[in-house]
Amino acid sequence: MSETIVIAETRDGELHPVTAELVSAANNLGDSTTIVVPSTNDAAANSASSIAGVSKVIACVGDCFAAYDAASWAEAIDSCAPSGVIVCAASQNGKDLASRLAARRSISVVQDVVGIDGGTLTQPIYSGKAMQNLSLNGDAAISVRANTFAAAGDGGSAEVSVMNQSADVATAVREMIAKASERLDVAEADIIISGGRGMQDPANFANLERLADTLGAAVGASRAAVDTWEEIPHSMQVGQTGKTVNPSLYIAVGISGAIQHLAGMRTSKYIVAINKDPEAPIFKHADYGIVSTWEDALPVLEAELKALLG
Amino acid sequence: MGFQSKGCTLRGTGDKMTEIAVLVKRVPDTNAQILVSGDRVDLSAVKWVMSPYDEFALEAAMLHKEAKGGNVTAITLGNADCDKVLKDAKAVGVDRIIRVWDDSWSELDSNQAQSALANVIRDLGINIVYCGKSAADTGAGSTGPGVAERLGWASASNIIGLEFEDTGVEAMVPAATGNARTGVSLPAVISCDKGFCKPRKPNVKGIMMAKRAQVEVMSSDIPSSSVNIISHSPPPKKAPGQTFEGASEVPRVVAALRNDANVI
Amino acid sequence: MAYEGLDFYDIESQLSEEEVMVRDMVRDWVDEEVIPNIEEACRDGRFPEEWGKALGEMGVLGMTIDEKYGCAGMSYVAYGLVCQELERGDSGLRSFASVQGSLAMFPISAFGSEEQKMHYLPQMASGEWIGCFGLTEPDYGSNPGDMITRAVEDGDEYVLNGAKMWITNGTVADVAIVWAKLDGVIRGFIVEKDDVGFSAPEMTGKHSLKASVTSELVFQDCRIPKDRILPNVKGLKGPFSCLNNARYGISWGAIGSAQACFHSAKEYALSRIQFEHPIASYQLVQNKLAWMLREITKGQLLALHLGRKKDDGSWFPEQISLAKMNNVDMALEIARMARDIHGANGILDEYPIMRHMANLESVKTYEGTHDIHNLIIGRWITGIQAFTRTV
Ligand SMILES: Cc1cc2nc3c(=O)[nH]c(=O)nc-3n(C[C@H](O)[C@H](O)[C@H](O)COP(=O)(O)OP(=O)(O)OC[C@H]3O[C@@H](n4cnc5c(N)ncnc54)[C@H](O)[C@@H]3O)c2cc1C
Ligand SMILES: Cc1cc2nc3c(=O)[nH]c(=O)nc-3n(C[C@H](O)[C@H](O)[C@H](O)COP(=O)(O)OP(=O)(O)OC[C@H]3O[C@@H](n4cnc5c(N)ncnc54)[C@H](O)[C@@H]3O)c2cc1C
Repeated sequence: MSETIVIAETRDGELHPVTAELVSAANNLGDSTTIVVPSTNDAAANSASSIAGVSKVIACVGDCFAAYDAASWAEAIDSCAPSGVIVCAASQNGKDLASRLAARRSISVVQDVVGIDGGTLTQPIYSGKAMQNLSLNGDAAISVRANTFAAAGDGGSAEVSVMNQSADVATAVREMIAKASERLDVAEADIIISGGRGMQDPANFANLERLADTLGAAVGASRAAVDTWEEIPHSMQVGQTGKTVNPSLYIAVGISGAIQHLAGMRTSKYIVAINKDPEAPIFKHADYGIVSTWEDALPVLEAELKALLG
Repeated sequence: MGFQSKGCTLRGTGDKMTEIAVLVKRVPDTNAQILVSGDRVDLSAVKWVMSPYDEFALEAAMLHKEAKGGNVTAITLGNADCDKVLKDAKAVGVDRIIRVWDDSWSELDSNQAQSALANVIRDLGINIVYCGKSAADTGAGSTGPGVAERLGWASASNIIGLEFEDTGVEAMVPAATGNARTGVSLPAVISCDKGFCKPRKPNVKGIMMAKRAQVEVMSSDIPSSSVNIISHSPPPKKAPGQTFEGASEVPRVVAALRNDANVI
Repeated sequence: MAYEGLDFYDIESQLSEEEVMVRDMVRDWVDEEVIPNIEEACRDGRFPEEWGKALGEMGVLGMTIDEKYGCAGMSYVAYGLVCQELERGDSGLRSFASVQGSLAMFPISAFGSEEQKMHYLPQMASGEWIGCFGLTEPDYGSNPGDMITRAVEDGDEYVLNGAKMWITNGTVADVAIVWAKLDGVIRGFIVEKDDVGFSAPEMTGKHSLKASVTSELVFQDCRIPKDRILPNVKGLKGPFSCLNNARYGISWGAIGSAQACFHSAKEYALSRIQFEHPIASYQLVQNKLAWMLREITKGQLLALHLGRKKDDGSWFPEQISLAKMNNVDMALEIARMARDIHGANGILDEYPIMRHMANLESVKTYEGTHDIHNLIIGRWITGIQAFTRTV
């Protein structure tokens, strides 16, 4: 298990920073790391060559990389990547590609790796309610979650070899459609940002909506907000007599944390509370409590998230 | 078109019926408590259900049949305990139910499971396979693209919209910069996200049909496994809650959400 | 969180696959469509029409009747499970299904002519036509044998006169099964909504079963063609055999109400903190919860065993009396106890408790009052009827 192949993550032809994290993961698995950079040209490969700890960069160049098409990408990448353990990002396309590559080589695929310790890989199962620890006895394709490994530094100068590929695409993008910024339902969303009576005016929910757009979140509300303001519909209510939600992140703004509200969101994986009253019961249940008015806290939050998520 | 040159003939609805398959998996209810006892998860007390995304795949398969004709075969992989998900599929109207298994198998890794499924799908003369974007137990999402690769077929994953055409489908596939309206020619594997259709409910007549339906059991050659499950463990304990004073601490919380909690 | 019924003794292991599937089908529907809307329906005093249609689409109306008539031919245990899940939503909803299936469709299937079966049953199974059952009269409740409503022959017709009271679904019914005396003998008649001389005004002001329609049936020289008599039964046996089926369903339904109350009480007790601890951590409260679980579990075993006997035909009516009486009694007691555990919150319509409690007061009375069932069992034990003094 010495050779490890990182399949670079790209966005719009540019190298995605997560690639440097994949290099760290790969270096934990083997002693020589090759990056394969799929693209329509070799620009991204050239930037990959400066990642530290990489022994070789292969620019896998082909027209098929203009848009994601699992079959042709797998075919083209497979023919330039040497054998060894393949490391992809656990992004939507990265996981898809890892599965394709593994199947193409008739090896196993291990998705969503969140830890590599010696020969032991760890992945969440049952939506994170348990972890599975496993070892590989042969080649495999794995996908690694972002933020699992520190990004490898730069200062490398690996040699770039260009390999031109031509694979027939099996699917054709007919049109790109801008994502409608339709509001997610709280019952469906993985991130929820809810406002309570402390928002003082329904118009102030616009602040929460902007944040929700940045986060891809749904906007929820406490019952006091729903009961007080006609503009806030019951469909947004979280709690015992509203919806029971189970997102990975729940942000409660100006909500005191009454038992009936908690009944609907207590099982959220992470809870953030913004409330001006340090004694508010919600703080007992928050993973991260911020004692502040929302007027002060939300602008900072919005700026931070914008910077992070664009 | 891509893979036709490699020997896969395209079978549209013209002279031949569309053979539609849907892959359904039995998983613990997503609300079930998952306990680890010893070094394995203990699933003895959980309630089992059809994996939620598979319900959308099943609906897509039924809609495909209604739009373009053909037959729908529901396929699962597993021992006889998994018959129930096939019966559930039968109760909403699939034509045929098949369980892929061999009593010499125990737990299969992705390579083995996909090989077995792909072999059966090939033998059945299927032209389009629907599956859920990921199964609620592993959350991996490997099966759809993996099976497609083994068959040399096109695939589209995580789709959030679907239209049926005479020689393929048009799928809405989420991408970083928007949603891609994507044409997919048959044969293909389509893995489905939720939301674009409403899974139909069974009724008593469907349930009585399911009662009488026979599960066909099929086996296949499989490769050897290349992963070793060492153990299962409970998830790492969350750090105790922290409280920060003032809006100036917001950046620290954002950093923690990203780096410690991994939720944004 | 998806609802999972209390199943302390693993009753589920005794059910067939299709029985579980039917139960889960109805359970999901009740969670999605009924529970979020029931309070509004009660406030408006209205049975949502679409629920009747949905029951028809699911195929649970008259589901034990033969497939030949558009029904499902399923087991009585499956029917019981359906009643259980419906009544977990609301007793009014279960009443609708009981009346349609056991009280209106069953007599047609058991005592009707082939033409009557073919004409009415498929339309009733689909929920297209709603049925009701008219036995009780203003002056004759527990004692229907002395009913006043009468039919007389007149050429090609029967002419009905009299009035029925407390008739579930009456106002909304397309088809009424009416029990009336013809030459002094109780006979069943099929009266249709538009028949001349027939009206069905709704009774209002109920504090119980608010989401169920209850009506009077008034017959003033109501004329129906001769082929609307149920040819194959005479005497009290007719209505009583319908009641046997409905009572059996109630014995399951009550478990559903009890489960809803138990579930709510358990959740509430775990989250309500008084004197620094959840009230569920106090022995007095645990005693109440343990008692609820005990009674529900016994009720389940009773209902299941009775259901299997219904299916193999080895039952007798007194067994049904026992199950109806016991299970409604325990459910009502559980509702009251759950109300207590919820404290003041227990009286709010935010919780299902008070609604179930009020509903169960009707359930205790209809289909044979609690004490009438005691008398039925008493007669079985002693051989002495105690309904009236003239032995
Ligand atoms: C049977 C029953 C069922 C119920 N069901 C539900 C339910 O489903 N969902 C639900 O939410 N509630 C429910 N409730 C109501 C619940 O008890 C609470 O009344 C409600 O949750 C309170 O909402 P709130 O936190 O928005 O308001 P409050 O309790 O009034 O809290 C407002 C909070 O905002 C903070 N605040 C004020 N100004 C600011 C500011 N400028 N910046 C930051 N913070 C500020 C305050 O410090 C306070 O903590 C139910 C109650 C009953 C009896
Ligand atoms: C919501 C609702 C819906 C109904 N739906 C229908 C329907 O669809 N069709 C229909 O035909 N009927 C229906 N009924 C009527 C129901 O069946 C009767 O109410 C029931 O049979 C009892 O009759 P009663 O109300 O006249 O009470 P009574 O018979 O007057 O009884 C009053 C009390 O006296 C007791 N009692 C009576 N006789 C004796 C005795 N011999 N010894 C000791 N105690 C005795 C009873 O147990 C009871 O406690 C419905 C009732 C309700 C409340």
